[in-house]
Amino acid sequence: MSSSVIWYIKEFLRAEWIKNFFTVKTAPLVTPEHFRDYPTLTGNECTHCLRCMMICPSPGAIEVLKNSEDKWEPVIYKGHCLRCGLCVEVCPDKVITSGDILERQEREKTMFLADYHLTVDHAKCMRCGNCSVACPINKEIDPSLAFGASLGSDEVIMRVKDGKLTILHPEKCTGCKTCEKTCPNDSIKVARVVEGFQD
Amino acid sequence: MSIIQNLKNNVRSRSIHVSFVNVGSCNGCDIEILACLAPRYDIEQYGIYVHNNPREADVLLITGAFVEQWDDKLLNLWNKIPDPKVAVTIGNCPVSGCVFNRRGSYVNPPVSKHIPVAAEIPGCPPRPTEIISTILSVAPLIFKDYEEMDKK
Repeated sequence: MSSSVIWYIKEFLRAEWIKNFFTVKTAPLVTPEHFRDYPTLTGNECTHCLRCMMICPSPGAIEVLKNSEDKWEPVIYKGHCLRCGLCVEVCPDKVITSGDILERQEREKTMFLADYHLTVDHAKCMRCGNCSVACPINKEIDPSLAFGASLGSDEVIMRVKDGKLTILHPEKCTGCKTCEKTCPNDSIKVARVVEGFQD
Repeated sequence: MSIIQNLKNNVRSRSIHVSFVNVGSCNGCDIEILACLAPRYDIEQYGIYVHNNPREADVLLITGAFVEQWDDKLLNLWNKIPDPKVAVTIGNCPVSGCVFNRRGSYVNPPVSKHIPVAAEIPGCPPRPTEIISTILSVAPLIFKDYEEMDKK
Protein backbone atom coordinates (compact mmCIF):
# COMPACT_ATOMS: atom_id res chain seq x y z
CA MET A 1 0.00 0.00 0.00
CA SER A 2 2.71 2.41 1.05
CA SER A 3 4.62 1.70 -2.17
CA SER A 4 1.68 2.75 -4.32
CA VAL A 5 1.32 6.02 -2.37
CA ILE A 6 5.01 6.71 -2.95
CA TRP A 7 4.50 5.89 -6.65
CA TYR A 8 1.70 8.47 -6.84
CA ILE A 9 3.79 11.14 -5.12
CA LYS A 10 6.69 10.43 -7.46
CA GLU A 11 4.39 10.56 -10.46
CA PHE A 12 2.93 13.95 -9.49
CA LEU A 13 6.32 15.45 -8.67
CA ARG A 14 7.61 14.97 -12.21
CA ALA A 15 8.64 18.32 -13.62
CA GLU A 16 6.79 17.65 -16.87
CA TRP A 17 3.54 16.85 -15.06
CA ILE A 18 3.73 20.01 -12.95
CA LYS A 19 4.49 22.11 -16.02
CA ASN A 20 1.55 20.62 -17.93
CA PHE A 21 -0.76 21.10 -14.97
CA PHE A 22 -0.17 24.85 -14.84
CA THR A 23 0.16 25.62 -18.53
CA VAL A 24 -2.41 23.31 -20.08
CA LYS A 25 -4.50 24.80 -22.87
CA THR A 26 -6.87 23.09 -25.26
CA ALA A 27 -6.23 23.27 -28.99
CA PRO A 28 -7.29 26.52 -30.70
CA LEU A 29 -10.87 26.61 -31.91
CA VAL A 30 -10.87 26.25 -35.67
CA THR A 31 -13.72 25.83 -38.10
CA PRO A 32 -13.34 22.63 -40.14
CA GLU A 33 -12.65 22.95 -43.86
CA HIS A 34 -15.86 21.20 -44.94
CA PHE A 35 -18.10 23.42 -42.79
CA ARG A 36 -20.95 24.92 -44.81
CA ASP A 37 -20.60 28.59 -43.93
CA TYR A 38 -22.70 31.35 -45.47
CA PRO A 39 -22.62 31.03 -49.26
CA THR A 40 -20.03 33.20 -51.01
CA LEU A 41 -19.75 34.24 -54.64
CA THR A 42 -17.46 32.30 -56.96
CA GLY A 43 -17.36 34.96 -59.68
CA ASN A 44 -19.36 33.00 -62.27
CA GLU A 45 -22.04 34.98 -64.04
CA CYS A 46 -25.56 34.77 -62.65
CA THR A 47 -28.29 34.28 -65.26
CA HIS A 48 -31.16 35.37 -62.99
CA CYS A 49 -32.98 32.03 -63.15
CA LEU A 50 -33.97 32.51 -59.48
CA ARG A 51 -33.70 28.80 -58.59
CA CYS A 52 -31.76 29.73 -55.45
CA MET A 53 -34.62 31.96 -54.25
CA MET A 54 -37.13 29.29 -55.17
CA ILE A 55 -35.56 26.46 -53.17
CA CYS A 56 -34.54 28.52 -50.11
CA PRO A 57 -36.50 27.28 -47.05
CA SER A 58 -36.00 30.45 -45.04
CA PRO A 59 -38.05 33.54 -45.98
CA GLY A 60 -35.93 36.48 -47.09
CA ALA A 61 -32.54 34.76 -46.85
CA ILE A 62 -31.46 35.16 -50.47
CA GLU A 63 -32.30 37.73 -53.09
CA VAL A 64 -30.97 38.18 -56.62
CA LEU A 65 -30.25 41.86 -57.11
CA LYS A 66 -28.40 43.99 -59.64
CA ASN A 67 -24.96 45.01 -58.43
CA SER A 68 -23.14 48.27 -59.11
CA GLU A 69 -21.96 46.94 -62.51
CA ASP A 70 -25.58 46.29 -63.53
CA LYS A 71 -25.16 42.51 -63.34
CA TRP A 72 -27.35 40.04 -61.46
CA GLU A 73 -25.85 38.80 -58.22
CA PRO A 74 -27.30 36.73 -55.35
CA VAL A 75 -27.20 38.50 -51.98
CA ILE A 76 -27.30 36.46 -48.73
CA TYR A 77 -28.86 37.97 -45.61
CA LYS A 78 -27.03 36.50 -42.63
CA GLY A 79 -29.81 37.06 -40.14
CA HIS A 80 -32.10 34.83 -42.20
CA CYS A 81 -29.78 32.22 -43.82
CA LEU A 82 -29.87 28.68 -42.40
CA ARG A 83 -26.61 27.62 -44.09
CA CYS A 84 -28.41 24.57 -45.53
CA GLY A 85 -26.55 24.97 -48.84
CA LEU A 86 -29.56 24.18 -51.04
CA CYS A 87 -29.05 27.36 -53.09
CA VAL A 88 -25.47 26.27 -53.83
CA GLU A 89 -26.61 22.80 -54.92
CA VAL A 90 -29.48 23.98 -57.10
CA CYS A 91 -27.60 26.73 -58.99
CA PRO A 92 -26.87 25.48 -62.53
CA ASP A 93 -24.04 27.98 -63.11
CA LYS A 94 -22.16 27.49 -59.80
CA VAL A 95 -22.47 31.18 -58.93
CA ILE A 96 -22.25 30.60 -55.18
CA THR A 97 -20.20 28.22 -53.08
CA SER A 98 -20.18 27.05 -49.49
CA GLY A 99 -17.91 24.52 -47.80
CA ASP A 100 -17.16 21.52 -50.01
CA ILE A 101 -20.62 21.29 -51.60
CA LEU A 102 -19.44 22.02 -55.14
CA GLU A 103 -16.54 19.55 -54.99
CA ARG A 104 -18.81 16.87 -53.56
CA GLN A 105 -21.39 17.54 -56.24
CA GLU A 106 -18.67 17.11 -58.87
CA ARG A 107 -17.50 13.86 -57.30
CA GLU A 108 -20.88 12.28 -56.68
CA LYS A 109 -22.51 13.69 -59.83
CA THR A 110 -25.62 14.86 -58.04
CA MET A 111 -27.88 17.64 -59.23
CA PHE A 112 -31.31 19.13 -58.81
CA LEU A 113 -33.69 19.15 -61.75
CA ALA A 114 -36.23 21.96 -61.71
CA ASP A 115 -39.60 21.39 -63.35
CA TYR A 116 -42.69 23.59 -63.55
CA HIS A 117 -46.22 22.28 -63.68
CA LEU A 118 -48.93 24.54 -65.06
CA THR A 119 -52.52 23.85 -64.12
CA VAL A 120 -55.62 25.73 -65.21
CA ASP A 121 -58.89 25.71 -63.32
CA HIS A 122 -61.32 25.82 -66.26
CA ALA A 123 -64.28 26.55 -63.97
CA LYS A 124 -62.65 29.84 -62.90
CA CYS A 125 -60.89 30.73 -66.16
CA MET A 126 -62.76 33.33 -68.20
CA ARG A 127 -60.48 32.99 -71.23
CA CYS A 128 -59.30 36.59 -71.18
CA GLY A 129 -55.81 35.52 -72.30
CA ASN A 130 -54.02 37.86 -69.91
CA CYS A 131 -51.65 35.06 -68.88
CA SER A 132 -50.49 34.23 -72.38
CA VAL A 133 -50.04 37.92 -73.24
CA ALA A 134 -48.09 38.68 -70.05
CA CYS A 135 -45.81 35.61 -70.21
CA PRO A 136 -42.27 36.81 -71.07
CA ILE A 137 -41.39 33.53 -72.83
CA ASN A 138 -44.49 33.75 -75.01
CA LYS A 139 -43.53 37.30 -76.01
CA GLU A 140 -40.10 36.10 -77.03
CA ILE A 141 -41.47 33.27 -79.18
CA ASP A 142 -44.34 35.20 -80.72
CA PRO A 143 -43.89 38.99 -80.48
CA SER A 144 -47.33 39.64 -81.96
CA LEU A 145 -48.87 38.34 -78.70
CA ALA A 146 -47.69 41.47 -76.94
CA PHE A 147 -50.10 43.53 -79.06
CA GLY A 148 -53.06 41.36 -78.11
CA ALA A 149 -53.15 39.31 -81.30
CA SER A 150 -54.34 35.77 -80.71
CA LEU A 151 -53.53 34.31 -84.12
CA GLY A 152 -49.98 33.40 -83.06
CA SER A 153 -48.14 30.15 -83.46
CA ASP A 154 -48.57 26.94 -81.48
CA GLU A 155 -44.96 27.16 -80.22
CA VAL A 156 -45.96 29.27 -77.20
CA ILE A 157 -46.42 27.92 -73.67
CA MET A 158 -50.15 28.62 -73.39
CA ARG A 159 -52.75 30.19 -75.62
CA VAL A 160 -56.48 30.65 -75.85
CA LYS A 161 -57.37 28.13 -78.53
CA ASP A 162 -60.90 27.30 -79.67
CA GLY A 163 -62.35 29.33 -76.79
CA LYS A 164 -60.32 27.51 -74.15
CA LEU A 165 -56.99 28.22 -72.51
CA THR A 166 -54.72 25.41 -73.69
CA ILE A 167 -51.27 24.64 -72.35
CA LEU A 168 -49.14 23.69 -75.33
CA HIS A 169 -45.52 23.62 -74.18
CA PRO A 170 -45.19 23.50 -70.37
CA GLU A 171 -41.51 22.48 -70.69
CA LYS A 172 -40.63 25.99 -71.90
CA CYS A 173 -41.82 27.56 -68.61
CA THR A 174 -39.15 29.13 -66.38
CA GLY A 175 -41.34 29.39 -63.29
CA CYS A 176 -41.47 33.18 -63.10
CA LYS A 177 -45.16 33.09 -62.05
CA THR A 178 -46.04 36.17 -64.13
CA CYS A 179 -49.18 34.43 -65.41
CA GLU A 180 -50.26 33.60 -61.86
CA LYS A 181 -49.89 37.25 -60.82
CA THR A 182 -51.65 38.57 -63.92
CA CYS A 183 -54.67 36.26 -63.77
CA PRO A 184 -57.68 38.19 -62.41
CA ASN A 185 -59.46 35.01 -61.26
CA ASP A 186 -56.59 33.02 -59.72
CA SER A 187 -57.27 30.24 -62.18
CA ILE A 188 -53.74 29.48 -63.42
CA LYS A 189 -51.22 28.00 -61.00
CA VAL A 190 -47.50 27.36 -61.41
CA ALA A 191 -46.15 24.55 -59.25
CA ARG A 192 -42.39 24.56 -58.91
CA VAL A 193 -41.12 20.99 -58.57
CA VAL A 194 -37.51 20.21 -57.74
CA GLU A 195 -36.17 16.68 -57.62
CA GLY A 196 -32.78 15.34 -56.68
CA PHE A 197 -30.94 13.37 -59.33
CA GLN A 198 -27.74 11.33 -59.51
CA ASP A 199 -25.91 10.19 -62.61
CA MET B 1 -6.75 54.48 -12.99
CA SER B 2 -7.02 53.25 -9.46
CA ILE B 3 -5.57 49.95 -8.25
CA ILE B 4 -9.05 48.78 -7.29
CA GLN B 5 -10.27 49.36 -10.84
CA ASN B 6 -7.29 47.43 -12.19
CA LEU B 7 -8.07 44.57 -9.87
CA LYS B 8 -11.73 44.60 -10.91
CA ASN B 9 -10.79 44.56 -14.59
CA ASN B 10 -8.49 41.61 -14.02
CA VAL B 11 -11.05 39.61 -12.11
CA ARG B 12 -13.90 40.44 -14.47
CA SER B 13 -11.95 39.38 -17.54
CA ARG B 14 -11.65 35.85 -16.13
CA SER B 15 -15.08 35.64 -14.53
CA ILE B 16 -17.89 36.19 -17.01
CA HIS B 17 -21.14 34.75 -15.74
CA VAL B 18 -23.62 33.71 -18.36
CA SER B 19 -27.29 32.91 -18.08
CA PHE B 20 -29.46 31.81 -20.96
CA VAL B 21 -33.11 32.12 -21.81
CA ASN B 22 -35.11 30.45 -24.55
CA VAL B 23 -37.85 32.74 -25.86
CA GLY B 24 -39.31 30.21 -28.28
CA SER B 25 -36.45 28.49 -30.03
CA CYS B 26 -36.44 25.07 -31.70
CA ASN B 27 -33.73 23.90 -29.23
CA GLY B 28 -31.01 23.89 -31.90
CA CYS B 29 -29.21 26.94 -30.49
CA ASP B 30 -29.64 25.65 -26.93
CA ILE B 31 -27.81 22.48 -27.95
CA GLU B 32 -24.95 24.60 -29.34
CA ILE B 33 -24.72 26.38 -25.96
CA LEU B 34 -24.60 22.95 -24.36
CA ALA B 35 -21.77 22.02 -26.76
CA CYS B 36 -19.85 25.07 -25.47
CA LEU B 37 -19.99 23.59 -21.97
CA ALA B 38 -18.83 20.15 -23.08
CA PRO B 39 -15.11 19.16 -23.03
CA ARG B 40 -14.44 19.85 -26.70
CA TYR B 41 -15.02 23.61 -26.37
CA ASP B 42 -15.05 23.86 -22.54
CA ILE B 43 -15.96 27.52 -21.98
CA GLU B 44 -14.76 27.45 -18.37
CA GLN B 45 -11.16 27.54 -19.64
CA TYR B 46 -11.91 31.06 -20.89
CA GLY B 47 -13.39 32.11 -17.56
CA ILE B 48 -17.02 31.89 -18.63
CA TYR B 49 -19.41 30.26 -16.16
CA VAL B 50 -23.03 29.31 -16.69
CA HIS B 51 -25.85 30.00 -14.26
CA ASN B 52 -29.56 29.51 -14.37
CA ASN B 53 -30.23 32.51 -12.19
CA PRO B 54 -30.32 35.92 -13.92
CA ARG B 55 -29.45 37.68 -10.63
CA GLU B 56 -26.00 36.07 -10.80
CA ALA B 57 -25.43 36.77 -14.49
CA ASP B 58 -23.44 39.40 -16.42
CA VAL B 59 -24.28 38.14 -19.90
CA LEU B 60 -27.76 37.05 -20.97
CA LEU B 61 -27.82 34.71 -23.95
CA ILE B 62 -31.15 34.75 -25.79
CA THR B 63 -32.30 32.08 -28.22
CA GLY B 64 -35.58 31.89 -30.09
CA ALA B 65 -37.96 33.94 -32.18
CA PHE B 66 -39.73 35.70 -29.28
CA VAL B 67 -43.19 34.18 -28.90
CA GLU B 68 -45.91 36.40 -27.47
CA GLN B 69 -45.89 34.80 -23.99
CA TRP B 70 -42.52 36.50 -23.39
CA ASP B 71 -43.82 40.04 -24.05
CA ASP B 72 -43.77 41.10 -20.38
CA LYS B 73 -41.48 38.39 -18.99
CA LEU B 74 -38.25 39.08 -20.88
CA LEU B 75 -38.03 42.74 -19.82
CA ASN B 76 -38.81 41.68 -16.25
CA LEU B 77 -35.97 39.16 -16.41
CA TRP B 78 -33.59 41.70 -17.96
CA ASN B 79 -34.32 44.15 -15.13
CA LYS B 80 -33.37 41.52 -12.55
CA ILE B 81 -29.77 41.29 -13.86
CA PRO B 82 -27.43 43.55 -11.88
CA ASP B 83 -25.32 46.15 -13.73
CA PRO B 84 -23.00 45.90 -15.65
CA LYS B 85 -24.95 43.62 -17.94
CA VAL B 86 -25.09 42.71 -21.59
CA ALA B 87 -27.49 40.77 -23.80
CA VAL B 88 -26.30 38.59 -26.68
CA THR B 89 -28.75 36.89 -29.03
CA ILE B 90 -27.90 33.52 -30.53
CA GLY B 91 -29.03 32.35 -33.94
CA ASN B 92 -31.19 33.72 -36.71
CA CYS B 93 -34.47 33.65 -34.80
CA PRO B 94 -33.81 36.63 -32.50
CA VAL B 95 -32.70 38.62 -35.58
CA SER B 96 -35.37 37.77 -38.12
CA GLY B 97 -37.61 34.97 -36.84
CA CYS B 98 -36.02 32.76 -39.51
CA VAL B 99 -38.34 29.95 -40.68
CA PHE B 100 -40.86 30.68 -37.92
CA ASN B 101 -41.55 34.19 -39.21
CA ARG B 102 -44.35 33.27 -41.57
CA ARG B 103 -47.96 34.19 -42.06
CA GLY B 104 -50.05 32.75 -39.25
CA SER B 105 -47.25 32.35 -36.72
CA TYR B 106 -47.23 34.21 -33.43
CA VAL B 107 -43.64 35.37 -33.21
CA ASN B 108 -42.46 38.90 -32.65
CA PRO B 109 -38.82 39.28 -33.69
CA PRO B 110 -36.35 40.96 -33.46
CA VAL B 111 -35.52 40.64 -29.78
CA SER B 112 -33.62 43.95 -29.96
CA LYS B 113 -36.92 45.86 -29.95
CA HIS B 114 -37.84 44.37 -26.56
CA ILE B 115 -34.55 44.70 -24.65
CA PRO B 116 -31.21 46.35 -25.55
CA VAL B 117 -29.01 43.83 -27.35
CA ALA B 118 -25.25 44.30 -27.62
CA ALA B 119 -24.42 41.58 -30.14
CA GLU B 120 -26.28 39.25 -32.46
CA ILE B 121 -24.77 35.95 -33.62
CA PRO B 122 -26.40 34.83 -36.88
CA GLY B 123 -26.48 31.19 -37.96
CA CYS B 124 -28.98 28.40 -37.76
CA PRO B 125 -27.50 27.40 -35.39
CA PRO B 126 -24.19 29.27 -34.94
CA ARG B 127 -21.08 27.22 -34.23
CA PRO B 128 -19.91 27.02 -30.59
CA THR B 129 -16.70 28.78 -31.68
CA GLU B 130 -18.77 31.73 -32.87
CA ILE B 131 -20.68 31.90 -29.59
CA ILE B 132 -17.51 31.76 -27.47
CA SER B 133 -15.60 34.32 -29.53
CA THR B 134 -18.57 36.72 -29.44
CA ILE B 135 -18.90 36.53 -25.66
CA LEU B 136 -15.15 37.01 -25.27
CA SER B 137 -15.07 40.00 -27.58
CA VAL B 138 -18.20 41.74 -26.27
CA ALA B 139 -17.52 41.29 -22.54
CA PRO B 140 -14.45 43.58 -22.21
CA LEU B 141 -16.25 46.35 -24.12
CA ILE B 142 -18.97 46.45 -21.48
CA PHE B 143 -17.21 45.38 -18.28
CA LYS B 144 -13.76 46.99 -18.55
CA ASP B 145 -13.51 50.22 -16.53
CA TYR B 146 -17.24 50.08 -15.86
CA GLU B 147 -17.05 52.34 -12.76
CA GLU B 148 -14.88 54.87 -14.61
CA MET B 149 -17.41 54.99 -17.45
CA ASP B 150 -20.16 55.73 -14.94
CA LYS B 151 -18.34 58.86 -13.69
CA LYS B 152 -17.99 60.40 -17.14
